[in-house]
Amino acid sequence: MLNYVLRRGFMALLVALTVSFATFSLFHFATDPAQTIAGEDAPQEMVDDIREQYGFDRPVLVQYGDWLGGVFDGDFGKSYFWKQPVVDLIQEHAGVTILLALSSLLVTILIALPLGISAALRPNSWVDRFALSTAVSAQAIPNFWLGLMVIILFAVTFPIFPVSGDATWKHYVLPSLVLGASSVPAVMRLTRTGLLDVLSSDYIRTARAKGFMGYRLILQQAMRNALLPIVSVLAVQLGNKLGGSVVTESVFSMNGLGRLAVESIFNSDIPTVQSLILIFVLTFVLLTLAADLINAWLDPRIRMG
Amino acid sequence: MRTRPPVPIGNCLTGLIALCALSFHANAGPDNDTLVVALSKPLTTVDRLYSIQREGLILSRLTDDGLFFVDPESLEFVPLAASSYEWVSDTELEITLREGVVFHDGSPLTAEDVIYTFEWVINEESDTSRGPVIRSWLDSVEKLGPRKVRFNLKLPYPMALRDMAISIPLRKQGTYEDAEDDAEAQPLNGIGPYRVSAFRAGREIVLERFEGYYQTSPKANPAIRNMIFRVIPDQGTQQAELLSGGIDIMMDVPPDVADNVSHLPGVKRLEGNDIRIGYITLDAAGEANPDSPFVNRKVRQAINHAINREEITRYLVRGSAEVVHFACHPRQFGCSADGPRYPYNPQKARQLLAEAGYPDGFSFKLWAYREKIIAEAVVSNLNAIGLDVDLRFVKLNVFSKVRNSKDMQAFFASYGSGGTADASASTGVHFAANSARNYSGDEALAATVSSAEQTIDSDERKRLYRKALNRIAEQAYWVPMFSYSQNFLLTPGLEFSVPKDGVPRFWQASWRQ
Repeated sequence: MLNYVLRRGFMALLVALTVSFATFSLFHFATDPAQTIAGEDAPQEMVDDIREQYGFDRPVLVQYGDWLGGVFDGDFGKSYFWKQPVVDLIQEHAGVTILLALSSLLVTILIALPLGISAALRPNSWVDRFALSTAVSAQAIPNFWLGLMVIILFAVTFPIFPVSGDATWKHYVLPSLVLGASSVPAVMRLTRTGLLDVLSSDYIRTARAKGFMGYRLILQQAMRNALLPIVSVLAVQLGNKLGGSVVTESVFSMNGLGRLAVESIFNSDIPTVQSLILIFVLTFVLLTLAADLINAWLDPRIRMG
Repeated sequence: MRTRPPVPIGNCLTGLIALCALSFHANAGPDNDTLVVALSKPLTTVDRLYSIQREGLILSRLTDDGLFFVDPESLEFVPLAASSYEWVSDTELEITLREGVVFHDGSPLTAEDVIYTFEWVINEESDTSRGPVIRSWLDSVEKLGPRKVRFNLKLPYPMALRDMAISIPLRKQGTYEDAEDDAEAQPLNGIGPYRVSAFRAGREIVLERFEGYYQTSPKANPAIRNMIFRVIPDQGTQQAELLSGGIDIMMDVPPDVADNVSHLPGVKRLEGNDIRIGYITLDAAGEANPDSPFVNRKVRQAINHAINREEITRYLVRGSAEVVHFACHPRQFGCSADGPRYPYNPQKARQLLAEAGYPDGFSFKLWAYREKIIAEAVVSNLNAIGLDVDLRFVKLNVFSKVRNSKDMQAFFASYGSGGTADASASTGVHFAANSARNYSGDEALAATVSSAEQTIDSDERKRLYRKALNRIAEQAYWVPMFSYSQNFLLTPGLEFSVPKDGVPRFWQASWRQ
């Protein structure tokens, strides 16, 4: 197991470094960070001064080496745009994204699992069709559109929730709904398929014969096995939400990591972009690893190899 | 067994919704005398000395005063914290300070504060955003009396007043003494009509009216007590906030959005001409390719004749946008010329191309980073005279990189002159010898522009700019396109004037009685 974890960790580091160097090089070859920092209307003297001040006139490899050296010393650098240490900046923004990701995952679970279970219990019935059409709709509707629609409905027409911001729990309700809806199709369909497979298996027939019925049969016997692929998908979905809440955060004006990433890209804030990419890559890898470990815990066959 | 009456789930939901609705209320509007303004971009500091963003300039007009300010009507630079000034010679400017000016901490403004501010700015270690520009003309500042200072310039520089008005707010002596390398994070102690009561970078800035503000100021007694600037990047979200009462005003609204939203109840639209201009630069110097067709003046003139600026302005830019014929905005000082104009004439464009040796046209890349629809209209116009145009529409940071590397044959761009109503901010910036935007390669033109920037006499400056603008038009280095229109959406209860220089002055705002 330790070997497995070490191997995955090494791969994660390799992927993160490759992506980080590619991003760094692309920024330097495709953009002029000095002009971006100085602003569109800045006079030439200011642009030249910034280029010298930030060391953009040095070779790219030297600049990357400097940054990477700092990372290994625990120093992620200072943001060009925000003029703050990147670590402080990420700490400030991470809370919003984590809370949004977890609450949207909860929304996904609350909608997708009951729908999936209902559809599996009554295949080809109207319940199944309703669940399927809900999944197709959720998959087809883009986040930004759904976001604006729920804002119009629940914040403008019926002013129940605030339009934007992240100050109180009410600010998280609509964004969680929007971000959570995007994962409903995958989780719902997987729940349905997984449960249908399990329900037709031998051990369920045995359990029925032993008198397990109703919710005891489903929750105690069937779901435990049907959960295995769902846990993996939920872990990936959590990774998606942590690293991919850009649109939702922008529409609802929430100061999370997604919005920080977008602003950093537009402002050529290379140290912040680099650090965020490292974090996003490592988050994905760690969550996938966590999903594998949970699966092993749920299924003794995986534990036993 | 005890039982309890069932609670209908519908009632529970209704109660929850009502609770949410009751506990949420908008804080914008006249009821609590708070103006809430939406900002599309985050502000990283409230200190104008360390901010290069337009949002920083808007905020600075509330929290800070400089020695001069831009008069909202005439757009001239007139004394603000200064009571009077005199050019003693071309390189010596004497300024007398107003009496009764106090900082937000209650301490009075003195000559020492003015000297400290400018010495801090020109100190290389201060790393202020305006340092490089101010260092290029300011040698020293000396005290002549308790309220009188003299600025010693390195060279004659008429735009010193502009820099003092727009770029350099006054700071209390010793403000940055203990700041080390974190000067921009210091609490702001300005002399403006509002003071910062809360600042959350990237989220909001809260201002309150400064009751100790000097009454002799042209900005004295602003009507609104509190202001909140909220960062809301998405225009759609800003509209929803406006409709729900979460904000009072939206800035920089695209014309089509303004058209769609302004007819809704509870929304008022304000529109006016902006000082920002759109233009196309042609690589006359052959920077990107020495064999470029644009090296030929007839080709550049053909491009000028091929583009239907009137229709693009009327149907795509819309509002009070106007066609511009020279490399500046007509409202800017010195923007007066009598050089050639290029009316839309595709026939003549084809004829000029043929005369230049390109009867079958040629291919080139047109770069752009904003208003794609306008760039596409330009491409369409150019296709009509037989040119094969590859539109490269990219983000601004990519655009800047390629432009600064002098690797563009032609580009469509815009320039807002930083809200400065002076040709030095447009013509000067684009045709100076060291400018990355200068694709003309015309040294004589650069010398003329440089002379204009170093001439105090107004008439002589006008003459020099006319000479420069005529030269640009004759050589067709640019295709000047149009001035922009600016749109604001606001609550009907708000009184607000559209700024002539494109930089809103919220100290002028008031609630409708």
